[in-house]
Amino acid sequence: MKDDCLLGIVLLLVSFVYGWEAVHFPEPFGGAEVVGPETFPILLALILGLSSVYLIVKPDPNGEWPVLSMLGQLLMVIVVLAIFAAILEPIGFIPATIFLVSVLCWRMGTRPKSALITGVSCAISVFLLFNFVLDLHLPAGILEFS
Amino acid sequence: METLNYLLQGFAVALTFENLMFAALGALLGTLVGALPGLGPANGVAILIPLAFSLGLSAQASLILLTAVYAGAMYGGRISSILLNIPGDEPAMMTCLDGHPMALKGKAAESLAISAMASFIGSFIATIGLVILAPWLARFALKFGPAEYFALFTLAFATLGGITGKNQFKTIIAACIGLMIATVGVDLSTGNQRYTYDILELYEGIDFIIAIVGLFAISELLFFIEKHQGNGLKKVTLNKLKLSLKDIVNILPTSLRGSILGFFAGVLPGAGASLGSFISYTLEKKVARDKSQFGKGDPRGIAAPEAGNNASANGALVPMLTLGVPGSGTTAVLLAMLVSLNIQPGPMLFTQNADLVWGVIAALFIGNLILLLMNIPMVGVFVKLLSVPPKYLMPIVTLIASVGIFAISGSALDLFFMIGFGIMGYVLRKLDIPLVPIILGMLLGPEMEKSLRHALTLSDGNWSVLWSSSLSVSIWALALLGLVLPYLIGPILRRRMANSSADTTQVHTKAQTHAKTQSANINTESEITES
Repeated sequence: MKDDCLLGIVLLLVSFVYGWEAVHFPEPFGGAEVVGPETFPILLALILGLSSVYLIVKPDPNGEWPVLSMLGQLLMVIVVLAIFAAILEPIGFIPATIFLVSVLCWRMGTRPKSALITGVSCAISVFLLFNFVLDLHLPAGILEFS
Repeated sequence: METLNYLLQGFAVALTFENLMFAALGALLGTLVGALPGLGPANGVAILIPLAFSLGLSAQASLILLTAVYAGAMYGGRISSILLNIPGDEPAMMTCLDGHPMALKGKAAESLAISAMASFIGSFIATIGLVILAPWLARFALKFGPAEYFALFTLAFATLGGITGKNQFKTIIAACIGLMIATVGVDLSTGNQRYTYDILELYEGIDFIIAIVGLFAISELLFFIEKHQGNGLKKVTLNKLKLSLKDIVNILPTSLRGSILGFFAGVLPGAGASLGSFISYTLEKKVARDKSQFGKGDPRGIAAPEAGNNASANGALVPMLTLGVPGSGTTAVLLAMLVSLNIQPGPMLFTQNADLVWGVIAALFIGNLILLLMNIPMVGVFVKLLSVPPKYLMPIVTLIASVGIFAISGSALDLFFMIGFGIMGYVLRKLDIPLVPIILGMLLGPEMEKSLRHALTLSDGNWSVLWSSSLSVSIWALALLGLVLPYLIGPILRRRMANSSADTTQVHTKAQTHAKTQSANINTESEITES
């Protein structure tokens, strides 16, 4: 099956659910109006629905997708970003950034040692820049002395 | 006279020390962003928005900073075109044709200097055009009622795919996705919750800054990794600049023609900077008496597309500032900036925020001058920076984008949203769904719904009010034309383009590696004027 067919089917479902919810919005406080909260969404659902039918009927040729091992790498990058988001506040900006920048540099082809150096110097300089020059407080986390 | 007065006031605003610094900083960052292949102007501006916010810059300062980045990116795009035959951004593609051959002849410095001058002339003339045209258009737009605005928003979406857009339905789909995301949250006029599923964070809707950074910057990172572009470009050295006054005089008429054409291409919806540089180049080739040097390093072949591309970049600000309807990806991102600063774009901008608008216009003049000064003597610095490999740069850019997002709200949840949008952007780009209409949909959604509401409330629910005035009928007709035209003349254009690309295959294959999906008009180097 063509990618566009699949996309069309997914979007058709989305437009259906989206439109269904819009039809069942509760009537606004103060009575119905000429244009309620549902009018515009219903319009959008119709247009998206029709366009996705077109995609199913006339799909474009498939694009190039990465091979499985590359997908794994991309997934890893996303996980790294997610870990950064998760540890930023509890552990602090500097360790989180060292982790993020080093791993990304390494994944993009830097040698581990220079990746780590980039990570550390980047973390410290951005932290100093934000906290002292720009006066924006980034979470210090475990490195907080007070 | 009135305009001149406002402009002088604008200069008073832009010439304060702080604003001058921001203009210079923006020009520097913009040139860098433009010069690095893969990091286009829309990306660059998108990454800087959260930073400008978290720094708590005033509306004026942030807008000056970002328009300078925008102008700078247009200058920067040419550097890698000329030196490496890889366009830094897609409007710079035409500059490869003559710029790179000239560099190969050992005249890289001359080629860069000529293109910087042509860029300056292009921007300068287009900014004058903006000063003349924008207030006039703003006054005209005051006649627009809600029905006309609704039609105008539709026009913006219809023409976004560009004249050579391949699949209009994909543009429509992208616009719908954006508009749908915009409806999430509490409906402002009735207080109803829509698609919030009782999640508190969704009550205020989804912040489009997060969406922009995710869709552009994070998906770009994923693309970089996939294509193994981490090692960057080969090192280049520059020769010593030898430029006589005669060389400059020789390119003046070319630059002037290119600027005027480019400006109008920028103002028109659906054309954009790529088309501007393309038409200028083609025209120049047509009017030139001696065509033999074109494609082999003719200075006119460098000046024409550069003047055209810079002029159309500034021309694109006209509809953005006066109507609140951007014509390109980067102006859409600039519009996002305005909206999040609580400035309502549109015709009232020129009366309500006169000092802001004129300050920005004056900053464009000044920024342009700074860019010229920066780009002739300091071009060596940019060339050095070009050789910083992306494997160091992209992680740092990603970090800065994330820190910016985090600093706006101080909530790590926004970072997860950003990552989510990044994945979405990656998948959609793989499926050839353009990203700019999504952003535009998120931006214009609330306004579009509001104008529909106003129009229908005034007419008591009669939908024909949307096409009852001659003005709105003509806007609808234009929108329809914008949707249908690519189907009629698009295939012809694309075939011509395939033919003309035969001579410049090298440029194309390289250009396509760096092609970004957010610009459907990437394929504009076809023989348009012949049709």
